[in-house]
Amino acid sequence: MDILQTIKETDKSFSQEIQKVQDIKSLEELRVKYLSRKGIVSTLFDDLKNVSREDKPLVGKSLNELRNSVQLRFDELKEKLESVSGKDHTLVDLSLPGRKTELGSKHILTQTLDEIKTIFKGLGFSIFEGPELESDYYNFEALNFPPDHPARDMQDTFFVNKSYLLRTHTSPVQVRLMTSQEPPVRAIMPGKVYRNEAISARSYCLFHQVEGLYVDTDVTFAELKGTLVSFARQFYGSDLKYRFRPSFFPFTEPSAEMDITCFLCHGKGCRMCKGSGWLEILGCGMVDPNVFKEVGYDPEKYTGYAFGMGIERIAILKYDIPDIRMYFENDLRFLKQF
Amino acid sequence: MKISLNWLKEYVDLEGIATAEIIDKLTISGLEVEDVEEKGSGFDNIVVAYVKERKKHPNADKLSVCTVSTGDEEFNVVCGAPNVEAGQNVAFAKIGAIIPNGGFKITKAKLRGEVSMGMICSERELGISDNHQGIMVLDSSLEPGTPLKEALGLDDVVLEVAITPNRPDALSHIGVARDLAAIFNRKMTIPEVKLTECSERIEKYASVEVQDTTNCPRYTARLIKNVTIKESPSWLKKKLTSVGLRPINNIVDVTNFILYELGQPLHSFDLDRLEGQKVVVRRASDGETFTTLDSKERRLTSKDLMICDSEKPVAIAGVMGGENSEVTAETKNILLESAYFNPSSIRKTAKSLILSTDASYRFERGTDPNVTPYAADRAMQLMAELGGGEILTGTIDVYPEKIEPRTVTLRFNQIKRILGFDVDRKDVKDILLNLGLKVVSAEGQEEMTFEVPTFRPDLEREIDLIEEIARINGYDKIPAVSKISITLGGKTDQSSFRDRLRDIANGLGFYEIISNSLQSREIAQLTGKPVEMLNPLSSDMAALRTSLLPGALYAVSKNLNVGEKNLKLFEIGHIFNKLSDGEIKDFSDFSEIPGMMLLVSGKAETVKWYSKERPFDIYDLKGLVNSFLEKICLDNVLDDSYNLVENKNFEYNFTKTYKNQVVGRGGLVSKEMLRKFDISQDVYCFEFDLNLLADIPVPQKRFNGLLKFPKVLRDCAFILDTKVTGQEVVGLIYKSSSGLLKNVELFDIFESKNLGPDKRSMAFSLEYYDENRTLKDEEVDKDFNRAVEAVIKQLNAEFRGTS
Repeated sequence: MDILQTIKETDKSFSQEIQKVQDIKSLEELRVKYLSRKGIVSTLFDDLKNVSREDKPLVGKSLNELRNSVQLRFDELKEKLESVSGKDHTLVDLSLPGRKTELGSKHILTQTLDEIKTIFKGLGFSIFEGPELESDYYNFEALNFPPDHPARDMQDTFFVNKSYLLRTHTSPVQVRLMTSQEPPVRAIMPGKVYRNEAISARSYCLFHQVEGLYVDTDVTFAELKGTLVSFARQFYGSDLKYRFRPSFFPFTEPSAEMDITCFLCHGKGCRMCKGSGWLEILGCGMVDPNVFKEVGYDPEKYTGYAFGMGIERIAILKYDIPDIRMYFENDLRFLKQF
Repeated sequence: MKISLNWLKEYVDLEGIATAEIIDKLTISGLEVEDVEEKGSGFDNIVVAYVKERKKHPNADKLSVCTVSTGDEEFNVVCGAPNVEAGQNVAFAKIGAIIPNGGFKITKAKLRGEVSMGMICSERELGISDNHQGIMVLDSSLEPGTPLKEALGLDDVVLEVAITPNRPDALSHIGVARDLAAIFNRKMTIPEVKLTECSERIEKYASVEVQDTTNCPRYTARLIKNVTIKESPSWLKKKLTSVGLRPINNIVDVTNFILYELGQPLHSFDLDRLEGQKVVVRRASDGETFTTLDSKERRLTSKDLMICDSEKPVAIAGVMGGENSEVTAETKNILLESAYFNPSSIRKTAKSLILSTDASYRFERGTDPNVTPYAADRAMQLMAELGGGEILTGTIDVYPEKIEPRTVTLRFNQIKRILGFDVDRKDVKDILLNLGLKVVSAEGQEEMTFEVPTFRPDLEREIDLIEEIARINGYDKIPAVSKISITLGGKTDQSSFRDRLRDIANGLGFYEIISNSLQSREIAQLTGKPVEMLNPLSSDMAALRTSLLPGALYAVSKNLNVGEKNLKLFEIGHIFNKLSDGEIKDFSDFSEIPGMMLLVSGKAETVKWYSKERPFDIYDLKGLVNSFLEKICLDNVLDDSYNLVENKNFEYNFTKTYKNQVVGRGGLVSKEMLRKFDISQDVYCFEFDLNLLADIPVPQKRFNGLLKFPKVLRDCAFILDTKVTGQEVVGLIYKSSSGLLKNVELFDIFESKNLGPDKRSMAFSLEYYDENRTLKDEEVDKDFNRAVEAVIKQLNAEFRGTS
């Protein structure tokens, strides 16, 4: 049974030799020596025909084991050597900057609006939009601003002529929405609005608003409060304090403004909240019955709430942006920060 | 408007309520306090002191050494004033005080060897007046030790209150006091008026004729004779200055006082300057001119209401009086006007004259038509008190149609229906009664009817009463519900398409910009037919944008100026174009379309350790536009056209069309255009009409299976005339091939001297496969050769080889 002895020795010598292998080239030489057609292992298989019949199964098994074991150890080392392409891997300079693909970004106002949309979508609101070049009817009259009423002074208007103007708020979309469908209506309405005010760090001729509206049977001021508190806590943080202050908008009654505690000073008073400790974040109220009459809803059957907030202001507060004009200068050094 | 807390306290009992609480409650019940000015601040440690003894300073002629007492303490103090005497009460600044005028701090000092433990102050040092002749000598009745701000009545707090346009009643101290009475459930007092009238009647001296009773529903007049025009007493001057008014003389000051006390604007005429001693209220004639009190000549129209005498106008009703009848130092006899004008008429006049006054501000919001006699009487009483004279018996009161108080019925169940919260029946009643309403029905279980005073024109309906109840009771008492119902059924999101486009643009490396939609007419005309503003902020913002191109070019220009030269920008926004030549009368006279602009400029690649610099070119733009369309599955649906229409804004341009309609256009922006924006580098941009893009049906996606059979690739290269376009070659290859050809890729293109002039080489890779079987070499060869043959023959190409 010399052949079994030879198999054992072959295995041993392969083990010794493969340990000395450092590179692909000597590994290849080793392969030729052991695994090629004329190699040691194949030659041993050729010798199998000289083995007696009764020994054949045992020798055959040992030979197969040898071949598999040699092949396996060869494969493992080959993979290992190739993984560093045969190079000394300490020469790969991992500190070099990677090949970068530059992605763009959404404008910070869009990002802020996206956050607001996500929250209200979660609360069951649809999203509708309307035109920026509006008629006096949708922007004022249908919203219970009588002609020649001082309430119109609250919103300095760009006029195209006496009947057409640039919308001063997103509220006209409320009217468009209500005239196009029956309650229940639950939607937010984002978009650009325009005010004819001198441009300064605090005021620009255009800005973005999000309007909200919910009309159904049994909608109450308490639900308005609940919805807006939920929004504010999701947007600004769950521990904020808030208050609702009476205010005036011709298209809501009762009307309110919502304040939250200043997040810079936590209510102690600072430059951001002008010392009051409070930041005004939105206006809201119960839809005025006159608006319902105008759109053909029965105010005895339906109640509803509406709210509106300025996105620039929200982002100014959240990101501490010092000047509203920066939003519209489109300076890449500004855009890339968000 | 400014509200003085001390003044307020004359009408409502606020005893025991801290100032901070008053401010807070006013704000949370709807009269927002925007600013608080503490008048007496800066008078800390300055007190009334009694000068017990005055001695000459041993080492200085002009100084004296005094002993002053603040009641429980005595101080040694060196004083340089000539008028200091023992027995005086003086304003004494103790150690630690900060002198209001100059801001320096009093410390213990030694003056020529004598210790001084404070300072006796002059009026100038206290910031009270410019007087620095000597120290300020105070009233001898004052108690030493009293804080000076209290002694001088400087302990006032003045609030800046923002009054919403629906609350004209709150534009006065009595109005604000009434809200406070309701908030704190306190009593309020309206000053009582007692007049001593003389024996003569007013009718003997004056008459009033109202020609336009629609715009002047009530005109009340009273007369006072032989008054002396002089300076007002200090109590009145102090009140007026506290709310920011400049005292003028006793008569004008009284009318201003009533304005701020009651909210009723009054006007005093010099009776002797009224021709015919008559007041006529009429409309102006068109083009009539009139010089107002501010010495400006105003041009009027027949819509403006005037106060006239028998000859000429003497005031613009409710807005401003005239120079020709104003009260002067020589005035003796005064006709006092206390009127109610139609709010909308006053507003029109004030608007058209661009003249807003304290009076017009109140009249256009709505004053109380039924307070005019009281206001006139109150003014008469004060004028007589402060200027002497005799009040004539009787009031001229032209009031043909009395404006009656409204009645409003409140159904109690509506409170809960609107607020989601019930308010106690008794509180409801208290709130409304404290606000001046009266119950005019029996107290029913279901409802009650109230009479609303005429000073609250905003309370017309049940909902208005519910708001009053909610705000006085406190919005904070209304619970914020913790659950909301969800409406089942489909949700709409009209912004989702544009949101997707933004995401795609970001992924392609574009930064979003938002530019001003308003621009100059000249700029807007470059890209369309602009809608113009009637009242622009400036000529730079006189028109709406007709394209997103100018806004994007402003952004490029801005960025080049700050050194940002490599730009990939996009904007989504509305653009506006006039569709008709005339005035806009209808929504069909203009278009408002959402657009999207993609813009690249500068370098596509900058120098890096792994890359070379490369500028953006038209193929970057084309590729980006196509990738963009691929992401919304429209890349195979749209057709390309090149230089389809000459467009002066582009050096060359290409369009994407759908069924022959242009849905987007772009190219290299023309030099002429760039010059207008001061841009010196190439700009490539593309603008989509998003309405058209959104309307294109997207092919329904279905899973197609994965290809089970191999693809066969064949390459070929040709030398062609440069005027032959790549598209022509590719088109021809497809046209002359069978359906086995699935894709053609142009992978190389070059020109060289060896090829000869006007020649270039183009190499293509052709991809063949069949979804159902493995192709045989022979059939691919046949197809490929046919295509090559066609290019050679039909495009006059030289075949360079295959691989």
